[in-house]
Amino acid sequence: MTNTEGVKVLPADAADTHTQRCRMGPALMSRLGLRLGSPVLIRVLQGACVCTAWPRRDLADGFLQISTQCSTPGLDTLINPHIKPLKCPKLTSVSVKVFVRNPKHTSESVHELLEGLYVHEGHLVNLGVDTEIRFVLVETVNSGSQKAGLVTARTRVDVVAIQSVKHMERRKVSGSTLGGVEDVCASLKEMITFPLRYPAVLRTLGLSCPRGLLLIGPPGVGKTLLVRHVAQDIGAALVTVNGPDVTGSRPGESEENLRRVFDQARAEAEEGPCVLLIDEIDSLCPRRTESSGAPENRLVAQLLTLMDAIGSREGFVIIGATNQPDALDPALRRPGRFDREVIIGVPSLLQRRSILTSVCREMPLSPDVDLNAVAEMTCGFVGADLSALSREAALQAMRHAQAGASEPVSMQHFMRALRHVRPSCLRSSIGATDFKRISWEEIGGLEDVKLKLKQSIEWPMRFPEALVRMGVPRPRGVLLYGPPGCAKTSLVKAAASSSHCTFFSISAAQLFSPYVGDSEKTLAQLFAQARACAPSIVFLDEIDSMVGSRADSALSHSVQSQVLSVLLTELDGVGVRAVERRSEGGRVAQVEGGEQEDTRTRQMELQEVCNKDVLIVAATNRADVLDSALLRPGRLDQMIYVPPPDREARLAVLHVCTARVPLHPDVCLQDLADLTELFSGADLENLCKEAALLALREEGLGVSCVRHEFFMKALRILSPSLSPEQLQQNFHSCLY
Amino acid sequence: MSSSVVSSLHQELKQSFEVLRANRAVWERALADCEPLLSAIGNIAVQLQALRHVQLANTPLHSFPGLHERLHYKLSLAVDSALGKLAENMDALQRARDAIGRQVSAVFQFYERNTHTLDIAACVSRSAVCPSVSDMLEWLQDSERHYRLQLVQRRTLLQTLTPSDLVLMETAPGRWASLHTSAGEERVTDALCQVSFFMETE
Repeated sequence: MTNTEGVKVLPADAADTHTQRCRMGPALMSRLGLRLGSPVLIRVLQGACVCTAWPRRDLADGFLQISTQCSTPGLDTLINPHIKPLKCPKLTSVSVKVFVRNPKHTSESVHELLEGLYVHEGHLVNLGVDTEIRFVLVETVNSGSQKAGLVTARTRVDVVAIQSVKHMERRKVSGSTLGGVEDVCASLKEMITFPLRYPAVLRTLGLSCPRGLLLIGPPGVGKTLLVRHVAQDIGAALVTVNGPDVTGSRPGESEENLRRVFDQARAEAEEGPCVLLIDEIDSLCPRRTESSGAPENRLVAQLLTLMDAIGSREGFVIIGATNQPDALDPALRRPGRFDREVIIGVPSLLQRRSILTSVCREMPLSPDVDLNAVAEMTCGFVGADLSALSREAALQAMRHAQAGASEPVSMQHFMRALRHVRPSCLRSSIGATDFKRISWEEIGGLEDVKLKLKQSIEWPMRFPEALVRMGVPRPRGVLLYGPPGCAKTSLVKAAASSSHCTFFSISAAQLFSPYVGDSEKTLAQLFAQARACAPSIVFLDEIDSMVGSRADSALSHSVQSQVLSVLLTELDGVGVRAVERRSEGGRVAQVEGGEQEDTRTRQMELQEVCNKDVLIVAATNRADVLDSALLRPGRLDQMIYVPPPDREARLAVLHVCTARVPLHPDVCLQDLADLTELFSGADLENLCKEAALLALREEGLGVSCVRHEFFMKALRILSPSLSPEQLQQNFHSCLY
Repeated sequence: MSSSVVSSLHQELKQSFEVLRANRAVWERALADCEPLLSAIGNIAVQLQALRHVQLANTPLHSFPGLHERLHYKLSLAVDSALGKLAENMDALQRARDAIGRQVSAVFQFYERNTHTLDIAACVSRSAVCPSVSDMLEWLQDSERHYRLQLVQRRTLLQTLTPSDLVLMETAPGRWASLHTSAGEERVTDALCQVSFFMETE
């Protein structure tokens, strides 16, 4: 990779600081074919710099000292340098941007200061002398026909712009890229740059340019980071207002602070573009009501008047960021104040992948890491969660590595990190559940039920293109019904484990509360969260107790029927609230790579289209009492009867249940399956447990295996929990 | 063949150091001439400042007509003449710098023309009396850069002097003195000392 293997990089000598010299051993110089003072381009991890090659004074090989006089902006660490000889012609012209200490004094000596230096396009030259001009940014070299060259006495130096050093230091913050918010980023940039760059055009069109923008999104999606990034990208000054900083104790102090911040922004705007960011604007500008105090209302009024007072010629843009748009004062959300509202939703699959690529860019990844797979597994994660995940994975790798050695981060580290990092939107939610993951094989029998469940849950994830081709939409809801103890809950668990969906489960106990309207609100909130983390599964166990039937006159005005109506609208309402909007996966980030990568991206796109919904899985053993509106297609459209196990199924269940019990060779599971008519899955599990306990009781604690007679004894004690009438009833409702 | 190139390069280098030594003397003389001129400018600035504040009508001198204007004119003339002399000295400094720069670029060009016969090993070999080619080229480059930057800085300082800003004029002598970097001068002196044996050899 680099041609400086085994060479140690040392800091440059004090005498060499601003000489553009790169000291190396004579052997390395002759190996690279360099003469004294020949220009080289040194590429390091974060950038590059142009130097002239000189031998070290002590002629020692194996060391490298680089003077970064002419380097890419923001270069500070020199790791893995790669030296490339550079062809540098004498330049005829160079256009530069100069950074001066005091913009009022301009002097004409740039040319003499640059003379004799090798410059490269886009590099920043630190002049290092005590003059007005401190830094020079090289914009184009020979009108763009060359990349680098030597400035001589005959070179024409054009100064394109003069800016203050303060302005440049702002630009120097690390230039990381943001993943997944390209479209929002572009529209934000456009909005900030248009009024600042083309004021004349806007004036001729008679437009007053928009000056306010409200960013809305759940916590952790990167609202603040986005604004910082955009400001830095277009070289705008950023003035930040935090709610608590503004609030003062004396009456009128808060308003004064706010005015001061606006004045500061106005002063910055004199010099160049400026962005005023009001973070967590809901704390600064809450809804004015009777109950809120006078000081608060005064602060809101002050903010409103300040926003109105900004003239259109003043070049600054106000951006507010919030995660509770409903708490804002409505007066703030009108054109003229915040003209535009941009909603940043929870990232979708493709966005997650691009976020992961950008957070893992500087991380050494081992080749087995599949970021696509990680993106699939992390539904409901926002940007902050994903960066926490990658950090955790890197920490795992560090823990694993031997002391001092560095190990690339591999897939297993990511899997381990996934266990620690949970999506932040689920931290405070109601229905998020942790459950023991079980596989389909741990449920005996019920093959066709499993198939139906897989069809509605797993297939949209695995074979999206087939479903799209056939025009099959994903089912909205699945109702599992059948006698108790026949593995309905286990089936749902297995389905949730096999697909990487977010899994919410809510029971009647969590739902009902003594306050009027609270239950309905909880349910609506659950669905809002489930939509934010889509694709997700909402599991409503014992749904008959939660939502009665409206046909039943006794229940017609009870809480149950209210909950039912909420559930019906959530299942099949007109649309979702505007705040929950998420990006349409229309614009896809360009992926480098071959055809394989293309098909992969296509598949992910399809998945995104198919899986943006919430799947409701309900379980009940009394399907007959459910409201008929709930059972129509479009709501709970898949009704799956989970039957009591037949002989084969019982045998399968017994095999699963006795997998960890040491059986005597005389045990015949076929016989047991024959004898356990009307036993449910739970009964069979109990039978195996009972038999094992009997063996322990009768043969002492040293017993090594369970013999058949204990099963027979247990069978005599236990009776089946299902009754023929119950089956009849279920069978009846199955037909209906 | 290589040895002939090396010896002619040595000749060039010797000539360069001769030029450097001669022009260094010129430079220092010119710089020494500047010193009193700048302190004169500083003094005049103080006088101008005083003139601006004094109320001549309250002094016994009020009977002289147009005294204020006359004094101001005289002082401005003094500034102009001092600046004119400084400009002459700056020209001398410029000439010294140009001579050094020309010579240094000539020796670099000579080296570049002959790089195919001079490998790195030949360039870095040094002996008790003769420093290596690379060392000498480096010293020459350093000296050239030192004089060039000094000239730019000093000229910029003079360009900022305007009669309207008396504070800048008052502080000019101090700032002029602070531009003198002993480190840069020492490096030129060091270089000249280190080549003294080399210069004497034939």
